[in-house]
Amino acid sequence: MTTATTATAAAVSRLLPEFRMTGNGFRTLVRTQARLLRREPAIVLSGVVLPVALIVVFGFVPSFGKPAASLGGKTTLDVYVPTFAMLSSVLTALTALPVTFADLRERGVLRRLAVSPVPAAGLLAAQVTVLATAAAATAASVVLIGVAGFGASLPAHPLLMLASYLLGTTALLSIGLVISALAPSAGVATGFGVPAMIVNFFFAGVYVPLQSLPHLLRTVSGFVPYGAIVDTWSGTGAPWQHLTVLAAYTVVGALAAARAFKWE
Amino acid sequence: MAAIEVRSLKKTYGETTAVADVSFDVGEGEIFGILGPNGAGKTTTVECVSGLRTPDSGAVRVLGLDPGRDREELRQVLGVQLQESRLPAKIQVREALELYASFYREPADIDSLLTQWDLADKAKARFGKLSGGQKQRLAVALAVVGNPRVVVLDELTTGLDPHARRIAWEMVEQVRADGVTVLLVTHFMEEAERLCDRVAIIDAGRVVAVDTPAGLAARGPAAGQRMRFRPSEPVDEAALLALPEVRSVERHGAYLDVTGDSEVIGAVTAYLARRQIIAAELRVEQSSLDDAFIALTSHPGDAAHAAHAAPVGHAAPAAHVTEESR
Repeated sequence: MTTATTATAAAVSRLLPEFRMTGNGFRTLVRTQARLLRREPAIVLSGVVLPVALIVVFGFVPSFGKPAASLGGKTTLDVYVPTFAMLSSVLTALTALPVTFADLRERGVLRRLAVSPVPAAGLLAAQVTVLATAAAATAASVVLIGVAGFGASLPAHPLLMLASYLLGTTALLSIGLVISALAPSAGVATGFGVPAMIVNFFFAGVYVPLQSLPHLLRTVSGFVPYGAIVDTWSGTGAPWQHLTVLAAYTVVGALAAARAFKWE
Repeated sequence: MAAIEVRSLKKTYGETTAVADVSFDVGEGEIFGILGPNGAGKTTTVECVSGLRTPDSGAVRVLGLDPGRDREELRQVLGVQLQESRLPAKIQVREALELYASFYREPADIDSLLTQWDLADKAKARFGKLSGGQKQRLAVALAVVGNPRVVVLDELTTGLDPHARRIAWEMVEQVRADGVTVLLVTHFMEEAERLCDRVAIIDAGRVVAVDTPAGLAARGPAAGQRMRFRPSEPVDEAALLALPEVRSVERHGAYLDVTGDSEVIGAVTAYLARRQIIAAELRVEQSSLDDAFIALTSHPGDAAHAAHAAPVGHAAPAAHVTEESR
């Protein structure tokens, strides 16, 4: 019994990544990574400014504020508020995050960090904290501008929406983390991140409406993070199944990334 | 207890053997040099010591810690400056020091570090804007920011101008003055001679000699003296070579290089004086670590290396009168 417990504990500790660092170390790492992010205008522009600018532009298009029969009585703006709110998560998770890490790896920054006491999981967690905060602030701004500024209506199930947004963001970040852990250069990170982003857009119905896809692809869509998010929002899907899928992505991706992390 | 123990270290990358068999001990408070030609396995050795690589076989202990198993403890007591490691271009000097300091349980004071390494004026400068010397000073400051007991410095002065190199040497001496053990990888003999208490010469993945710099210089087959001068009249090189004290004679344009035992200077000047030849621009050198290094790391039959191994071998059309060609 005791042996079994010890063996299980050992197995669990083998599975879990090393994450022991000073509290001050983690806070300083988050602060430093936030500063460095602010000094990268391209990432700030695409991840923060673009979604906010899009909702403002859409808000000023008069016809987008009128209910459309084809959208089930919703306005175009109603539909695009959640899409743009999610956009920041997709962009930061699948491009900004992996490209940042691969670039640090390519330049030997991670090689230097590898001989300091900072654990890989700590580095990843700090960067995720920074990017997720930026993405959440962007999403909140998009919703606020859309609803308060241009009269978009709030979704019917705000809590479910919030849960799927949060888990969806962490699921996408976990995919980004796996690429971050392994990509040897910014080019390779882009090579994996951008197709992953396109797949997510496709299964979220960005290019072709999901309704027009064959049954098989619609089923697959429920297992792709962005697809699962959008389907939860539509109110017609199976929200608990989708949230479970997103949680699974988050846990498996984050653990795999921390375990497989390459310093150079 | 030795600060660093390396026993029968072996590391291969695919087909390439980077380190075949390396063993050495570094005492506490020592500056220990690792010297060797490019590709000898120096960097791989210190990467194994730093825990960045896992050896295929052999054992490494740093202050009794196993770099693989005791990674976390090792990181707290070992400071490392590595080749090909950088900081983000847009991080400021002080931010970098504060970041790395925050990882350690007992970090050094940032302001004193900035002053000690002459970076106080650059505290707000971005890493990408620093000069080579400033970057190296920051690299050393980062290596000691955790108040380590052992520091590894890999090719600290490569790419620095002579002035910055001298400053870097003073930095290493400062680090040791604080009681820190230093493992220094270099390919500059002058650096090893000036800084190191002991030196291991590594060649083709093996340790070929471990000794003090003076001890190594004395034991090389080229031990003795070397003189270089411009004779006022042509000299019979074969006759010079026939002197018992003379080991080799080489002509480089108007100059003659003569090596031999400790009596060679007297013997050659006497010979020249008898023929009323003046040795202009006479320069005399003790055989150095340089000679020992080249003798210890030259590979027989390796043409490129043999050319490199020829003493003062930069004058290509020189007439060689050596024992082999006689």
